[in-house]
Parts: sequence; C-alpha cells; structure tokens
Amino acid sequence: MEWFYVKGILIQSGINLTAVLGLSLLTGFTGLFSFGHAGFMAVGGYAAVFAGMRLGLPYPLALLFGGLVAGIVSLPIGRLTLNLKGDYFCIATLGFGEAIRLILDNVQTFGGARGWPGIPVTTDLFNVAVVAIIGTFVMVRLVNSRHGRNMIAVREEELAARTVGIDAFKYKMLSLFISAMYAGVAGGLQGYYLGFLQPKMFSITKSTEFTIMVIFGGIGSITGTVFGTLLLTALPEVLRAFAIWRLVVYGAAVIFIMISRPEGLMGGKELSLAALRRLFGPRPKREVPS
Amino acid sequence: MSLLETKNLTKQFGGLTAVDNVTFTVEEGSITGLIGPNGAGKTTVFNLITGIYKVTSGQILFEGVPIHDREPHVIAGMGITRTFQNIRLFRRLSVRDNILTAGHSGARYSVVDSILRTPRYVQEERQLARECERLMDLMDLTEVASSRASSLPYGLQRRLEIARALAVKPKMILLDEPAAGMNPDETMQLMSLISRIRDEFDCTVLVIDHRMDLIMGICENIVVLNFGRKLAEGPPEAVQTNPAVIEAYLGASGEGVAVHA
Amino acid sequence: MVQFFQQLINGVSIGSVYSLMAVGYSLVYSIMNFSNFAHGGVIMVGSYIGFYLLTSAKVPFPAALLGAAAGAGVLAIIVERIAYSPLRHRSAPFLYFIISAMGASMFIENFVVATIGPTFKTYPAVFSRWPIEIGPFYIGRIDVLIFVSAAMCLLGLVYFIDRTKLGKAVQATSFNHRAASLMGVNTGFVITLVFAIGGLLAGIAGVLFGMKYTVYPQMGAITIKSFIAAVFGGLGSLPGAVIGSLLLGIIETLVSGYFSSQYRDLISFTLLIAVLIFRPIGLMGKVTEEKA
Repeated sequence: MEWFYVKGILIQSGINLTAVLGLSLLTGFTGLFSFGHAGFMAVGGYAAVFAGMRLGLPYPLALLFGGLVAGIVSLPIGRLTLNLKGDYFCIATLGFGEAIRLILDNVQTFGGARGWPGIPVTTDLFNVAVVAIIGTFVMVRLVNSRHGRNMIAVREEELAARTVGIDAFKYKMLSLFISAMYAGVAGGLQGYYLGFLQPKMFSITKSTEFTIMVIFGGIGSITGTVFGTLLLTALPEVLRAFAIWRLVVYGAAVIFIMISRPEGLMGGKELSLAALRRLFGPRPKREVPS
Repeated sequence: MSLLETKNLTKQFGGLTAVDNVTFTVEEGSITGLIGPNGAGKTTVFNLITGIYKVTSGQILFEGVPIHDREPHVIAGMGITRTFQNIRLFRRLSVRDNILTAGHSGARYSVVDSILRTPRYVQEERQLARECERLMDLMDLTEVASSRASSLPYGLQRRLEIARALAVKPKMILLDEPAAGMNPDETMQLMSLISRIRDEFDCTVLVIDHRMDLIMGICENIVVLNFGRKLAEGPPEAVQTNPAVIEAYLGASGEGVAVHA
Repeated sequence: MVQFFQQLINGVSIGSVYSLMAVGYSLVYSIMNFSNFAHGGVIMVGSYIGFYLLTSAKVPFPAALLGAAAGAGVLAIIVERIAYSPLRHRSAPFLYFIISAMGASMFIENFVVATIGPTFKTYPAVFSRWPIEIGPFYIGRIDVLIFVSAAMCLLGLVYFIDRTKLGKAVQATSFNHRAASLMGVNTGFVITLVFAIGGLLAGIAGVLFGMKYTVYPQMGAITIKSFIAAVFGGLGSLPGAVIGSLLLGIIETLVSGYFSSQYRDLISFTLLIAVLIFRPIGLMGKVTEEKA
C-alpha cells in the first residue's frame, strides 16, 4: 500500500478517535446514548472554519473555538433533557442532529447545502496525532479521578449515586459538555483536512458509526475506544469490495455484542486501564497505597 | 436532642395516600426502628427523607433545617444516606471502587486538577484511598476488595452497601430491610454491625425491618406504621404491648389488608 | 380561508400517518419503558412489502395492506426476540436496549440497501390521482384513504385495549409488570403481542406513507416525527400520541404552506424544544416517580 493512502487512513483515524473519545465518555462512562454526535461535530467544524477564515484565528485556536462552541451548544439540550428519563435525551439528540443539518443547509453564508469549499488544508498527520494523543491523555486522567468515578456511578446506578451525594444532573451535563467539545474539535480537524465542509457529511449514519466504534471497543474502556476506532476506520478502506454489506454486518454485530458480550472486544477494562495508566501516567500503577 | 423530625408528613400517589400525616422524631445517637406490615409506607418514608420522592405536604427537619424540598444529593451532602431494600450497588465496579466512589465528597479537587494531576489531586486521592482501605478493613471487605460487586454473595452485597453508605461519612444512615434474605447467623452478625455503626461511626441509625426480633433487640425507639398512618411510637416494651400494634400484626390478617388496600 | 382548510386537510392526512407510527411506538414504550428506535425499520419494511405485493404479486390493494401489516408485525416480533428479549431476561440497563435497537435499525435499513438497492420506488396508482371535490375544497383520494384507515386502526386498537380480556392484560402489564404476572397475566406473551400490534400499525403506516410519497430504505427516519409527536402528547400515552401526531402534522403543513417548506422539518424540532421547556411531560403525560 502506498504511504499516501496509509497516511490518509491514519489522519482519518485520528479525527474519528477525537470524536469517539468524547462519545466514549458520554456513552461508555456516563451511560447516555446520543444520536446526534455528528451534529456537534458539524457545529464544531463550521465554527472552527469560521474562526479561522472569517475571524483570522490561528489553526490551534480555531480548533479550540470549534470545540468550545460545540460544547456550549450542547448545554441547552442537556439542560432540557438530562433530568428527564433517558429517552428524552435520545430523542432530543436525534432531533438536534437532523435540525443542525437542515439549518446549515439553509445558511447561505456558509455555503448552504453545497458546502463550504476552499478551506486551507492545514490538518496533517502530525497535528492530528498531537490532538488525538492529548485527547486520550486528558480522557484517561479524567476517568481516573473522582469526577470520572462519579460519572461511572451515574451510569451504574443513578439513584444510588444520588443518595451518596453525587449530583447526577451536573455530572451528566459535564460529560455531555466535554463530549461535545471533543466532537467539535474533531469537526474542525475534519474541515481543515478535507478542505471543505458540507452539511450532509454529518448525517445520523456518522453518529451511528461513532457509537459503534465505542461499542466494539467496549463500554467504559478508553483502550477499547482507541482500538475500536482504529480498527473500524481502517477496515472499510481495506474491504472496499465489501462496502455494501459493511453496515449490515455492523448492525448484526452490535446486537450480538449487546446480547452476548456488552464489554465489547476489550472485555476486562480494569486490565486495559491499568496498562494505559502505566503508559501515560507519571507513576507506575496507582500512586495511592492499596 | 432530636436529629431528624417529620411533621405531618404526607405523600399521595394519585388518589392513594401512602403516608398519611406522620409525625415522629429520631434522637441523635439512637437506633430507631420503623416497622409495620407490608404496604404500611415504610419505604415511602425513606424515599421522602432522602429526597427521592417529593412530599405532598408536611415537613422534614434535619438538625432543625427543613430538607423536604432538597435534591437527594444535597440531602446526602447534609449527612443522610441510605441502603435499598433491593440492593443498588454499582454492580460492575469492584468493591473498592464502590466505596472509593461514595467517598468522593472527601475530596474537593477540580476537573483541571485531575487532568494536570496537581499535588492537590494526588494528595486528596491518596486520602480517599486511605479511607477506603480503612473502611474495607472495618467492614471485613478487604479480602474481596477487587471482586466485582455483582459477583459477591448476597450477604456481602448487603454489607458492601452499608460500607458504601458509611463512606459518605453520614450523620444518619437509613437501612431498608438490611436483614432481608439473611439466615439467622447472618442476622446476628448484622445486629452487632448495626450497633457498631452507631458506636464506631458516630452515626444515628433508622432501620426498617419486618423481623420483630431484630428490631426489638437493637432499637431504643420504635415507630409503628400501618396503612400510612403512625400507629404507635415508643420504646420496644411499650410498643410490644400496645393493643393497636398487636391488632395490626396479629388481628388483621391478609384479608383485612386486601379490603383496605 | 379556503387555502387554510385545504392545508388543514393535508395536515390531518399526514398527521394520521404519524399517529399510526406514534401509537405503535408509544404502546411498546408503555409496556417496555424504553424507546424502540428500530420502529422506523419496521415501517420501511412494511412499505416495501406493500410495494412488491402490489407490483410483483399484483394482489388487490386491501390484500397488499394486510400483507404489509402482517409482514411488519412478524418483523417486529423477530426484532423483539433477537435484540431485546435476551436483554430483558438479564435485566440489562436501559443503555443496552437503545444500542441494540440502533443495531437492529441499522441492520434492517442496510440489508434493504444491500439486497433491493438504495433507489426510491414509487407506488403504482391504486386510486385515481384526481381529487374529490367538495364545494371549494379538493381532497385527495389517498388522503381520504389514509384518514379512514388510520381512524379504523386506532378505533380497533381502542376497542382491543378497553374491551377485550387481552387488552386488559396489556393495560395491567403497562401499569405494573410484576403485579400483572402475579395476577396470572403472561407478561412474556403480552410483550410479544404489543410488538406485533406496533408492527401491524407500522406496516400500515409504511404503505400509506409510501403511497403518499415514495418508498426508500431510509424512510424509517420519518419516525423521528412520531417520537417527537409522542413526547408532545406525553410519552407512553396512546391518546397523547394521536393528538400529538395530528397537531404536528397540521402545524407542519401550515408552516410549509404559509412560510416555506424548507422549514417544515425544523418545526418538529422547534416543537420538541418548546415542549421540553414548557411541559416536559407532554399534553397528556403523567408525572411518574421512580420506585426505589
């Protein structure tokens, strides 16, 4: 395989990983299901490109701006739905994902449905790698703090979490905000990689594929998220002939994982987290006496 | 001095009054029992005290402060926590992580602290871990520290749930049928554990149970509920001989309950 | 004024289709307490079955409608058996159900893409395309058919739920699973039954929708409207689902008639936000408190 081709897969993996890490925090660690993550990615992408091309912000700040805007957009959605039953959040994200595309289709200053061409191609393997590694690093540290544990507690047993003093609503909001920020940054990376943005790039299918990456890797595992994303980004490129049946197989696989092995490919998450901690943490294993 | 006080506490679900005008007090440092036949409204009272249900009318005062309009996590922060009749552990987490998580309020570091691993994070995390180990030690859970909560035998799950509640450092703990499903041996152990909670953790206990022997054996004060109303309140001897209580427990059989319900 | 009533008629027509979808979804919700997001796939398959029965098998329209309903009903039961039933049996968390539903939906939609193809298909003209004239109003024959079929289905459902023994079992189960099963209701059977009914209604909705517009693999996405309509009416409430759907259909048509059809699809989202701000339990919803 040519390097150019491999490099493309790697860059796309890094972009996807950034988005999927955020989704992993939301779905895998906090137990909230979003149909609309591609929507946050779209918001972040357009905001980042707007910041870079119209406001003249340098590339790293433009990405950050995109992330921030996506995070802020997520807040009203969370505010309205996260203290209700989980279904409301799902339906709201489904509606949001569709609505954001329709809105972008009609905003002529961003090119409407035809898209926004002529974005300087700035994203390369190096800066994608930097973002993805920082993103992973931050996520690992977050989930290994009291804040991460509180999110996991909300996922495991919300009522009990509240009776031990965890503000479930606050932690769901925090998780959603961080998650949307990751998606937003990924959207910026995407726009600056392809050189154009188009609303239809951010369909529900895209959101679904992100969720599948989280599930393949294993709910509640960062290592799993990384492997799941790399594998599922590369696989379709390798199996092009198989393209039509790919999503059929994904659908079947998702059901199979849920009914037989919800932990996903990685399974034992404790082991993988400990390994990651050794890899990224400044101290070997737990820095606390055990 | 009374730690917890309910005044004319009432809870209605649609047309059904589950708790009807109930007034009682729990003295600081006491072990108080809440008893009554099935459907008497005992668990509903717990759900009202811990803020899971909103009261229809009446008041709940904790250390003289009204708490009946607060969120559950705020009430927990003020020092009331509980266990559940149908055990609600963080099932897929280890025993250690269950307790460590519940101890969260012992640390104050921010999200940024955790990402940067500031000295504050390291120090407070260490402190949390130490307290977690100490608690596991006191509750005889150290051996199973790394086991998944859901894989524990039933009795240990109950004990873990109590340990998790104690990790909150509560002033008052509510135990909802802690002896359910336990054999006599385990029940004996539980009784001594409840006394230890009060003495070693300096924690007031309010306990629901059907088992008269358990309640009579450890409680200094007993509140009896029947059909949502308070039937009697007082020390075990007085309650045991109260004709209304005897009537409720022995006189009215299943048929009577069905008619009233 | 004439234009207004004309829009109203269109709105009721599209609202009737939404209501068939929303009622099936709400019925499953009221029993299972989770949103069956695979509902859209079932609607789409029903639409395809109807299409092929009419074009390839050339059966008369009522037979095609029944065939589509039956096929969709069977598919709904299969989805329940494969994707949800194992989760139910080990009381898996809510999240797993949603994920499994997503998998089922993805499988169904893409299976159709892979086998039949992604192209749009147009139903054959079963009825004359000429509208019926009543005074100054024109009513499409298809709209009459949609309204009448939807009304008949919903009345049939109301009769079933309120008047039959099985219907009472469904109500009891939705109220309290455990109590119902202690009273001798076979809750496993009730769940199958509810999925079957939801599927039947979905199949009919699929055919009607396909006749009014077209058939394509992604048409299941239309169910987002019925989810929103169900939230609007009150999640889990059947009358709420019908009223929410009709209102949504009418508001949508009026907005696209008087403003721009581009905003039509944004209406449902705007409405959702308004409901969540002002009345999260919906028009006919009840406040429920989680049992501890």
